[in-house]
Amino acid sequence: MKGLRRACGGAALAALLLGLLLAPPGAVWAAAGGAITVGIPLEPPNLDPSATSAEATHDILYANVFEGLTRIAEDGTVVAALARSWDVSADGLGYRFHLRPGVRFHDGSALTAADVRFTLDRARAEDSRNPLRDLLQAVANVRVEDELTVDLDLTHPVAEILTYLGWGNLVILSPASAGHAATAPVGTGPFRFKEWRKGDAVVLERYPGYWGPPALLERVTFRVVPDATTALAALLAGDVDAFSNFTSPENLAALETDRRFTVVVGSTEGETLLAINNARPPFDDLRVRRALAHAVDRNAIIKGAMYGYGQPIGSHFPPHDPAYVDLTQRYPFDPAAARALLAEAGHPNGFDVTLRLPPPYYARRSGEIIASELGAVGIRVHIQNVEWAQWLEQVFKNRDFDLTIVSHTEPMDYDIYARPGYYFGYRNPRYDALLETLSRTRDLAARRRLLGDVQRQIAEDSVNVFLFELPKLGVWRSDLHGLWHEAPIQGIDVTRAYLDAPVAARQGLEAPRLPGALLGAAALVLLALAGVALRRHVSAYYLASRTLSLALTLLAASALIFVLVDVLPGDPAAYMMGLNASPKAIAALRADFGLDTPAWRQYLEWIAGILRGDLGTSYTYRVPVADLVGERLAVSLPLALYALGLALVVAVPLGLGAALKRGRRTDATLMGIAQAGLSVPNFWLGLILILVFAVHLHWFAAGGFPGWGQGIGPALAALTLPAIALAVPQGCILARVLRTSIGETLDEDYVRTARAKGLSARAALLRHALPNALIPLLTVLGLQFSFLLAGAIIIETVFALPGLGRLMFQATAQRDLIVVRSVVLLLVAAVVLVNFTVEVLYAVVDPRLRQGRGA
Amino acid sequence: MSAPGSTGVSRGTAIGAVVIGLYGLLALASLTSLFDSGLALDVAARLAPPSARHWFGTDPLGRDVFAMVAVGARTSLAVAIGAVLVGVLAGTPLGLIAAARGGFTDEFLARGNDLLFAFPALLLAVLLSAALGPGALTAVIAIGIFNVPVFARLVRGSARALMPRDFVLAARLAGRGPVAIAFEHLLPNLAGLLIAQVAIQLSLGIAAEAGLSYVGLGAQPPVPSWGRMLNDAQTLVGSAPWLALFPGLALALAVLALGLVGDGLAAVLGGRGGMR
Repeated sequence: MKGLRRACGGAALAALLLGLLLAPPGAVWAAAGGAITVGIPLEPPNLDPSATSAEATHDILYANVFEGLTRIAEDGTVVAALARSWDVSADGLGYRFHLRPGVRFHDGSALTAADVRFTLDRARAEDSRNPLRDLLQAVANVRVEDELTVDLDLTHPVAEILTYLGWGNLVILSPASAGHAATAPVGTGPFRFKEWRKGDAVVLERYPGYWGPPALLERVTFRVVPDATTALAALLAGDVDAFSNFTSPENLAALETDRRFTVVVGSTEGETLLAINNARPPFDDLRVRRALAHAVDRNAIIKGAMYGYGQPIGSHFPPHDPAYVDLTQRYPFDPAAARALLAEAGHPNGFDVTLRLPPPYYARRSGEIIASELGAVGIRVHIQNVEWAQWLEQVFKNRDFDLTIVSHTEPMDYDIYARPGYYFGYRNPRYDALLETLSRTRDLAARRRLLGDVQRQIAEDSVNVFLFELPKLGVWRSDLHGLWHEAPIQGIDVTRAYLDAPVAARQGLEAPRLPGALLGAAALVLLALAGVALRRHVSAYYLASRTLSLALTLLAASALIFVLVDVLPGDPAAYMMGLNASPKAIAALRADFGLDTPAWRQYLEWIAGILRGDLGTSYTYRVPVADLVGERLAVSLPLALYALGLALVVAVPLGLGAALKRGRRTDATLMGIAQAGLSVPNFWLGLILILVFAVHLHWFAAGGFPGWGQGIGPALAALTLPAIALAVPQGCILARVLRTSIGETLDEDYVRTARAKGLSARAALLRHALPNALIPLLTVLGLQFSFLLAGAIIIETVFALPGLGRLMFQATAQRDLIVVRSVVLLLVAAVVLVNFTVEVLYAVVDPRLRQGRGA
Repeated sequence: MSAPGSTGVSRGTAIGAVVIGLYGLLALASLTSLFDSGLALDVAARLAPPSARHWFGTDPLGRDVFAMVAVGARTSLAVAIGAVLVGVLAGTPLGLIAAARGGFTDEFLARGNDLLFAFPALLLAVLLSAALGPGALTAVIAIGIFNVPVFARLVRGSARALMPRDFVLAARLAGRGPVAIAFEHLLPNLAGLLIAQVAIQLSLGIAAEAGLSYVGLGAQPPVPSWGRMLNDAQTLVGSAPWLALFPGLALALAVLALGLVGDGLAAVLGGRGGMR
């Protein structure tokens, strides 16, 4: 667009510019330094803010590592960031941004107008993977005026453009580093990325070259604490210093009275809805939707599911916004009115519906109450819990649902009610026209009026049942200050956070890495085994046939796994792009992943890759799967061995003691103990161990894993409680095996002979019976080892350990299929190899098995 | 070879059987409307400690924990029984056929068995629930698949041991085919063994169901299940310990009782006791 006239913006802009002057004074008097650990509920899929809507990614990176032209301040207003100031043309079609001079990326390169153009052009390109791509449709052109000046031409006025530019997806990247942002993000913020320990934590450190007031903390670790219980325990045990949003409101009251912690209840942009499929009967009838609204008691939900935290809402708008209109009394809680409306709509006997619930606690808990409340007016609700990937596929993409509960956390997202094909299935030309007017209006008072109409229209059409504004339940150490109380945008801003008396940050957080030689070692063991077998005259034919059968089993397993994993509903690309993603961006990502090739080719490529020693690249993490698996094995393998060792410690005294006193009272007592011990579920035991040894006694951390880089001591300490929880039931099983096999051996003639020669029972046991009884014990040990390697999923969840099981769980939920396949195959291979080893060992021991097949 | 010193049913087995009977009664009672009022939400009465009115206290939504534990018994037993049925119905014929036909069939079935056995049950459950959606039925299938090779191996091994016995030889001389012999003559002789193994697999199944529903892969709300109750109770264990205590005890007791019964039966019926 040529000949664009530019003028200074109107009143709206003046108000925005005011924000510039209010640069947060920070706590200049506070001692700078120190390190904190912030707990986040989910691990980021990757660290590229331009390619994902994942909350975790933006929580970590927004404002801390990356900055945009503008940014959203704590009160929700738009303030300047990398753009020092801007001018808007009178027709609202031209924006000129003046960049801040002296800004440097973390790699040392200077920020220029070319970087801004690169970022915006990349975001709005045809093959863009930016979730906000569609919001930039109005951008016609991005032009570099000079080194520090960028012009934006719009095709039509979009009053919200300055807000969009402040969102996490549109932060500025440089062409040199953008390609690696998924694993090595390079931004301009006061913190730079240091390391990512997959499954555990992302570490940021202060960037000394920052253009503005330097960060006060030296280091911030964002640690993944997926489970609400672990979260509380980690907080109490001091493993985590702060939760920006704590996921168990039931514990807040207790924490509020605890002087060690500060509890701040703020507001988010999350309108929590009972979303209705307006396009599907009977919900296409306004009377039915209104009946739902009357049937739901918001206050009971807020009290029961949220423990009183969360503000009731009557439309799709946050109560803390100046333009908010209270519409909560539009449909007061009135079951009689609901029943009357249902009867009027032709459903006097109600109907059956399915309520699909995504994982967050607010959804699952509200769902049970809503099901019961709707049941009271005759609507029979069937609850179906789904993972995010399934939710995105079934509900969001395919609109295959009746009701669902979800919190829409994007700020100013009322435009979703005008999007064609959005999952609500709602269309109203009057609403579309309203938004059209709004987009063209820049006068604040007029905008506020229009926003009121927007809220009223949504409520009038009872598009959804509006439940409550999701609270931000901040909990942190009372000597930690400067964290945000409100959450107007996804992000945990730690740029102004400081500690009263900071302790120097500990050094040396290294990613645990297992030497790649592990597989080689396994192969060597097998070779050695084969060598021994051959020397002991096990026939080569026998070995070859076993090996062939081993290979066939693994091949069959791989095919089975591929088929199983391939039929999983849920698109990995859709999962990564989130709620705001454009279909084009998702298609581009699918092609990136190679998901557009036929299944048989994907399978062959997978197998060929494995044979070459290449497991492929993770969809979400964007790193080689082999590295991921190696990191996780560095936790799972030691844990399994540790647990096995402890299991022996439990088993040997129990089993030996019982065997020695066979048939007597001691035997019965010891075996009774073993029977009771193996009946205790290990996750329950783990929970009790956390309570006693972490929360009350503070002997061990409640969960998490420091990595082997910190030394063997802390790592082993972190594995101790989980190993005990795993070991006790397993040890009790072993004890029974030991008792039986020793018992049987004691009955053998040679032991009886030894006893007849005058050997004491104890000596007979130790010298003769034990060595022979060890063989069945070793078999069971082998089986238990593979069980422990794979079966620790639950214990890993309880203790928040970054092991193989959790990788598997997480990868399944994120539909990182390539990781799921490889992990399952690895675990299956472990079982098969252990069985193979045991079989060959038996052949070595038992000549009858050497020549042909076993009986 | 002898079962040490046990003549008849041991005291532990008897106690186990009585406990199982009680659970069965509780589960049956939960089929009536007896516990309906206890399961109704009552946010006003939430988190009440155990009392005469609420024996096991109430949960955060005001439901009676005793009623939930009772209905949870039904869920647990139903899933475990369903899974054992899958295992017996699929595993027994497979084992019999393998034993009767031998040769290639035997080898093929043994490898298939090994393959199934190699899939850790929990992994399978995670994958299945991702494909089918989580729920009680998914749990039945996942645990059931795990049970198939257990019964197949047991039946095959024991059936082969019976093959040289006179009554089998007699049947063979009478011209019966191997498969007919397996079902007509071998199977009835394996009934005792099967029953003992059923009890043991039931106890394992109950533990597995709890584990699955603990991680959200079992029966879905509002159907109560012990594992999910334990998960829900975790964050409240400091302030409302009864929420975690009673379902945990109910679970451990059920596993223990079935284990005792299984071992006792195995000792009496001559099977191989012990849980893997």
